[in-house]
Amino acid sequence: MVPVDDRSGAALRARFASEAEKLGCAVHIVESAAQGIQQVLDLLGGDPAILSWDFEHIPLTGLAAALDEAGIRRVAGDPAVRVGITGVDAGLAGTGSLVLTTGAGKPRLASLLPPVHIAILETGRIVPHFEAWAEQQRANGAHLDAGGTIVLIGGPSRTGDIANIPVRGVHGPGAVHIIIV
Amino acid sequence: MDVQSNNFIPAARIAIRDPQLQAALHASSTNSTRARAESLFAFGREHGEHMREQAAEAKRRALRQLPDLLERAEARMQANGMRVLWAEDAAEARRLVLDVIERHGARRIVKSKSTLTEEIDLNTALEDGGLDVLETDLGAYIVQIAGEHPSHIVGPALHMSKDTIRDLFVRELAMPPTDDAEQMTQFVRERLRQAFLGADLGICGGNFLIAETGSLCLSTNEGNGRMVTTLPRVLVALVGIEKVIESVDDFTTLAQMLARSNNGQVMTVYTQMIDGPRRPGETDGPEEIYVILVDNGRSRIYGTGYAEALACIRCGACLNACPVYQAAGGHAYGWIYSGPIGAVITPLLAGLEHATPLPYASSLCGKCRDICPVRIDLPRMLLDLRHDLVTRGHSPALWSLGLHGWAAVSGAARLFSLARRGLRWGLRLVPNRLPGPLDGWTRYRDLPPAAPQSFYELWQERQKTRDHE
Repeated sequence: MVPVDDRSGAALRARFASEAEKLGCAVHIVESAAQGIQQVLDLLGGDPAILSWDFEHIPLTGLAAALDEAGIRRVAGDPAVRVGITGVDAGLAGTGSLVLTTGAGKPRLASLLPPVHIAILETGRIVPHFEAWAEQQRANGAHLDAGGTIVLIGGPSRTGDIANIPVRGVHGPGAVHIIIV
Repeated sequence: MDVQSNNFIPAARIAIRDPQLQAALHASSTNSTRARAESLFAFGREHGEHMREQAAEAKRRALRQLPDLLERAEARMQANGMRVLWAEDAAEARRLVLDVIERHGARRIVKSKSTLTEEIDLNTALEDGGLDVLETDLGAYIVQIAGEHPSHIVGPALHMSKDTIRDLFVRELAMPPTDDAEQMTQFVRERLRQAFLGADLGICGGNFLIAETGSLCLSTNEGNGRMVTTLPRVLVALVGIEKVIESVDDFTTLAQMLARSNNGQVMTVYTQMIDGPRRPGETDGPEEIYVILVDNGRSRIYGTGYAEALACIRCGACLNACPVYQAAGGHAYGWIYSGPIGAVITPLLAGLEHATPLPYASSLCGKCRDICPVRIDLPRMLLDLRHDLVTRGHSPALWSLGLHGWAAVSGAARLFSLARRGLRWGLRLVPNRLPGPLDGWTRYRDLPPAAPQSFYELWQERQKTRDHE
């Protein structure tokens, strides 16, 4: 629906980054897993714990060990935790959306409960738009309802319910960092 | 809430004199309408119109096969582990919700904004049953605390100023005084966070229901919709039967049109497709999902010339564009649906006799039709409803008398000519205001003086001169 003319990998990544930034996401493009892990550690500051997906679903090899070494624990469903880390099933270039599906090892709360969401996205998972994603799922023979829930995330949680004044971070995360590997 | 739409005129008269409401309406309407145009036509007018065409076609196609799609959706949802219940009217829908609550022994209920639950007055029924029900959309929460009703289908508290909301929070919730909307929002976040974590049942609506996959679709911005559909063990979704669409492809179109038409977002922050309860190996998500498909008058509308009103996706664009809504605000319409779409579906759902002024709450300027993402011809239906009002004898007696008189006089040449002359003489006698009930015409404008000769007389004179030549 949204026109995306140049569908080369580099162009899709650039388009995705620019659209996601328009929505209020912070986009970090990294060249290696090591650089990505450093970015995650920088964003975590001195936090002792995180919510996250199982590390096999997060495309940063070595992240588990690095967090371990830094003394950062992975906990489940704790509302006091500041940062949630997830992988991303697909990025939609035309609208800057993150597609997250549910399943074993991919808790929903990791992208919902903490005020900061860090999403790790592989460049190869960026598709032109929502329509192309649905088409791709069908082509791969995947049932579109095979997952429990599919959510498209477009930037930080927001509202305008108080006199139309835009405010971020109502119930969902007020900050969304996307690390593109 | 009771339908109070027959009070439209006095209620609108008060609303027009409320400076705070007028300021709020003006700001939000112009903002939304401008943002919608910028976003819809970001890739050119033709592209935007093409998107509208696609969206309109998706909903029309869905309506044409409504019964089949509902059965397909039901089968898919059941296959995916959701329980599907059908409610013919509001009372049955309320009873079904109460049954589910009782079965699971739920006490603390969190809700994500749903106009359908307002339509069937669900909160009152739950509160009467001694249950704690909390609205969690910020606007809906504000309105709930204030003991009011939403004034806009998308922005429930759109009629309230920041100061009013601040005072409300300070008074009702003991919020430390602040003028900052962000701090006020954070205060609510903290409060509702506890409610989400402690809730045992969630209630939500549904923006779309996809027959192909049995997906319950929700478009939300704040994240409360995700909380309600993730944290409590049991989820109950109430969905109008007209919300079913054919395919995921239609959803991709409609989800984008909904957000663009509402406030210019390319998509809402969270666009969810819920395909079933928690699966083995998952640590969160509802263990049971009930979807209640609510008719409440919709199938009756389906069989009439007003069926296209069922294509509405509740984006609110027609409210924001309507000069009558902008002046009168949502509450004047007397029920949950306001603006042009409210003027059409309130009489259809609640009964024409309970909403006789609404078909006239329009200047027929056509902006609602021009802005509608699914091209609903609202002015046509407003005219048809006016016609229904007359044929069913709901028009004011004086109005009928006047029109019958006019029909009699204009149907007889001699009578018409006599009346014309009489009227011209009569007009010389009255000042520039008409007497009695006709005063409505001249209260805000001068009565124009009658021409010395009518067109008809001029014409006759010219014909005579011609004959002489």
